[in-house]
Amino acid sequence: MNFRNIFLVMKKDLSGLGKERTIVLAILLQLFVALFSSFLMVGLTSMYDPSSLARYSGVKYQVGYVGESPDLRDLLQRSNQFQVYQMDLSTAVAALTERKLSAVVYVPDTGIDADDPVKITLYSLQNDIQSTIVNVQLKEVFLDYEEELRQARSGRLNLIPVTVEFPASRSSPGFYEFIYGLLIPLLLFMPAIISAALIIDLVTEEYQHHTLETLLSTPMTMAEVVWGKIAACLVLVPVQAGTWLLLLAINRIAIANMVEILLLVVTSSLVLILIGALTALYYRERTAAQFIFSTAVVVLMLLVLAFPRNPLNLIALLATDSAGMEQWGILAGALFMCGILGFITHAYSAKVSTRAPGE
Amino acid sequence: MNSLQFLGQIATLARWEVRRTFGIMGKSMLPAAIILFVLLIAVTGFTAERGLHLQDGLYRMGVDDPKLATIFGGDERFSITVRDSVSLVEHRADYDIVIVGSQAYVQRNDRGRSALKTLQRDYQQYLDSVYSQQQDLFAAYPLWIDLLEVKSEIDFSATEAGQTISVSPASTSPPVPEGPVEEIPEPDPGVAFSAEELRQGLQESLGQQQDQLARYSDLVGPESPFGSFKTPSQLSPPLPFDSIILVFLFIFPLYFTSQFYMMSIMQERLERKGEVLLSTPAGAPAIIFGKALPYFIGMIAISAGIALYLQVPLEILLPLFPVILFFLANALLIGMASRSFKELSFISIFFSTVATSYLFFPSIFANVHVISLVSPLTLVVLTLQGEAYTLSQYLFSTALFFLTSATLFYVGIVNFKEERLFSQAGIVRRIREFVSTSLSERHPWASLFAMNAFVVPFVFMVQMLLLVLFFNLPMPLSLVLLIVSAALVEEIAKSIGICTFLLERPHKFPWAKVVLGAAVTAAAFLFAEKLLLFVTLTQITESVFGSILFLSSGALTLILPFLLHFTGALIVASLVKFRGSKGYVPGIILATLVHCLYNGYFILGWML
Repeated sequence: MNFRNIFLVMKKDLSGLGKERTIVLAILLQLFVALFSSFLMVGLTSMYDPSSLARYSGVKYQVGYVGESPDLRDLLQRSNQFQVYQMDLSTAVAALTERKLSAVVYVPDTGIDADDPVKITLYSLQNDIQSTIVNVQLKEVFLDYEEELRQARSGRLNLIPVTVEFPASRSSPGFYEFIYGLLIPLLLFMPAIISAALIIDLVTEEYQHHTLETLLSTPMTMAEVVWGKIAACLVLVPVQAGTWLLLLAINRIAIANMVEILLLVVTSSLVLILIGALTALYYRERTAAQFIFSTAVVVLMLLVLAFPRNPLNLIALLATDSAGMEQWGILAGALFMCGILGFITHAYSAKVSTRAPGE
Repeated sequence: MNSLQFLGQIATLARWEVRRTFGIMGKSMLPAAIILFVLLIAVTGFTAERGLHLQDGLYRMGVDDPKLATIFGGDERFSITVRDSVSLVEHRADYDIVIVGSQAYVQRNDRGRSALKTLQRDYQQYLDSVYSQQQDLFAAYPLWIDLLEVKSEIDFSATEAGQTISVSPASTSPPVPEGPVEEIPEPDPGVAFSAEELRQGLQESLGQQQDQLARYSDLVGPESPFGSFKTPSQLSPPLPFDSIILVFLFIFPLYFTSQFYMMSIMQERLERKGEVLLSTPAGAPAIIFGKALPYFIGMIAISAGIALYLQVPLEILLPLFPVILFFLANALLIGMASRSFKELSFISIFFSTVATSYLFFPSIFANVHVISLVSPLTLVVLTLQGEAYTLSQYLFSTALFFLTSATLFYVGIVNFKEERLFSQAGIVRRIREFVSTSLSERHPWASLFAMNAFVVPFVFMVQMLLLVLFFNLPMPLSLVLLIVSAALVEEIAKSIGICTFLLERPHKFPWAKVVLGAAVTAAAFLFAEKLLLFVTLTQITESVFGSILFLSSGALTLILPFLLHFTGALIVASLVKFRGSKGYVPGIILATLVHCLYNGYFILGWML
């Protein structure tokens, strides 16, 4: 093994990537995914959290109220979100279809502690974002009313739940779990997947473009070529993952244990890259190698995710500084995997044919 | 050549393709593929059983009551310690949440607040599970809501996307309908289901609440098993979760199969292998369609197979059909344009992610909003839910896919020749070559017109994606972003044709022709925009968002939008004429600025 040769191959492949500049697309892609998922998340939450949208404050939704029972009407009026009109059903529904009301509530005169439930009929507009928002606000009032009715009927309950009192809820943005538990692990693992797909392209390209023979006519061995390519792919991982960490930090998302996270990402990436390299060497042809590899990765990912303390879970824990000593065990496990796969790759690359299949 | 001969050639080429794919690769790949497929099914089942463990142990909780540990123990996000209350209080800094004497105390930081929210949700679920076992169900669930949806007679798109319904004039008297009042029968106060039926349904929907997605948002509630009949907490619009999973099942095979087509096209370009094919009497169309045919049939067969397996009606293939065409058309061009395998991977991953977002995210809102119809997959979701859609809805969501696929196939066919296939120029340069070949030398104006007309569906697609993307942001920000990005996309699209002419044949374009070219571009753009809007997009153009995207074709006059398009194209073209390709980026920026000002002026005028 000559490290200079490995370095040369790595440099050649990296400069090839640089020249094509399409790796920019891979980076754009990650940005796109991040943007899209956070937009979706932030958007969804703010859309349904009326207080976060200034334009809704002060606007009262007009609701038609049909029925005699005053309890719900009082609740609606007290919530300050609704302008309630006592109407008869047919007029109210007609006004609703003309969009002069945002919803119509029909309340029967079922008694508050009757044997039967109170069955409200809610008329709302079909397929309309506005009425969805109105319904979500009505839901709050209905939940209060449900609680009131439950209180009135509490004597009839036979199972008493354990009570827990919560502190008065402070408004929480609610993105914490999404950011640390989903976005960060996904973002940090995307470079791993990209690099693993890259190694297949780099290896099969040498076969299918018949450049491998030229490369091997120099005093380079096959193993050195393969390790050079692995190194090229591996180098990209901490660069991308590090950029992500930096960008997140700029966005004031605090991430603990950055070094450990990078270490974990790099070792796990190496496992994937080695699997990719083995697949590529076995098939020596891109279509088959990519197909088999991507299916295998899906299987592997699903399997790994089924167990707690998997690398993705561990990243979430590390980022929030809640990981215990077990992190070192997992890192050691990943390193061990790297060792075994690396040994197989090394041995296999010495034996493997230097010609594309079917030639 | 008559059409029979043409079909014969396609059939021959398709047969070759099948033999090649399954001959060389099949033998080595098939065993591994079968094993992986079996593993995939097994692992999917296994993981579905165990759940995804992404956030395990994110929060630390200390409780003094072992009963609480069992109640919340089901949520792996908490690692729970049971200690006596004195030592809990002493070590409270070690925990995000401490529950002592049935009172919860929370750390004052983001994690603590998030933990509290999660815990409250869990507690609510626990309450629900206790309530659903009560002997007297109607004491625990005393309130039921029957949600009846009314179709508005006024064009429903008027209030889409954020315009307020009837801004309250704070009147104290109830509104009076103008139209005729139809007699609505009073709803029956009785419940149509027995208590036991309801109990069973409640317990079922409790299970659904564990859905991974529902963790992140209160927006999507559990679906009520009784249709429109719900408890108050089920009032949020249901997320068509199962249907979306099923849609994934349909799309993934399509994605993979189109990869094979992409690779097959790329293969012809390796070592100039394709020369043999090109020298046969079969022309480019026969080669392209012949190669595509097996994959097309394969995709249809796979989709039909999945549909049969899931026992859903075969109509589900109708909305999938344009998606298949779209994937194949893109695969063709990506296979033709990329220089190396790496480039192929990057471009195709990029394309498929963007396309997947365009297809998927709208369909999440299938039950909420009409905008979801921009994606044909929404129709798939509707079919899976057993709902019908109309012909105009089908046209609305598929027209763009049909048009863009046809355009892409055309570009592929005219460029399928030696000097393009075996060129090793960079990707931007190649795209320019592709466009330039598609433009006719002899009829420059006609082809410029056609090219700009055909670029409009792509513009609409990108703008739709932007609409979906920005739709979720708060109002002023989303408007600004939409104005700027929509203008940018339009200016880039308009500049493609005329700038290709200018850069490829500079000497043939004196200033007078630049002006004429800008005029042709503007006219074509306007024409296609009008036509497409007329056919499909009336559903959203009425909204505020729609008016930004398509304002230039608004109801004002034809002159103003024409002048806008003309100015934009002229600015870019002049700068390119003046400074060559270096003038392109400044030109686009300047034109976008002008476009934004124009839009801004009219939007503001509109809204003030």
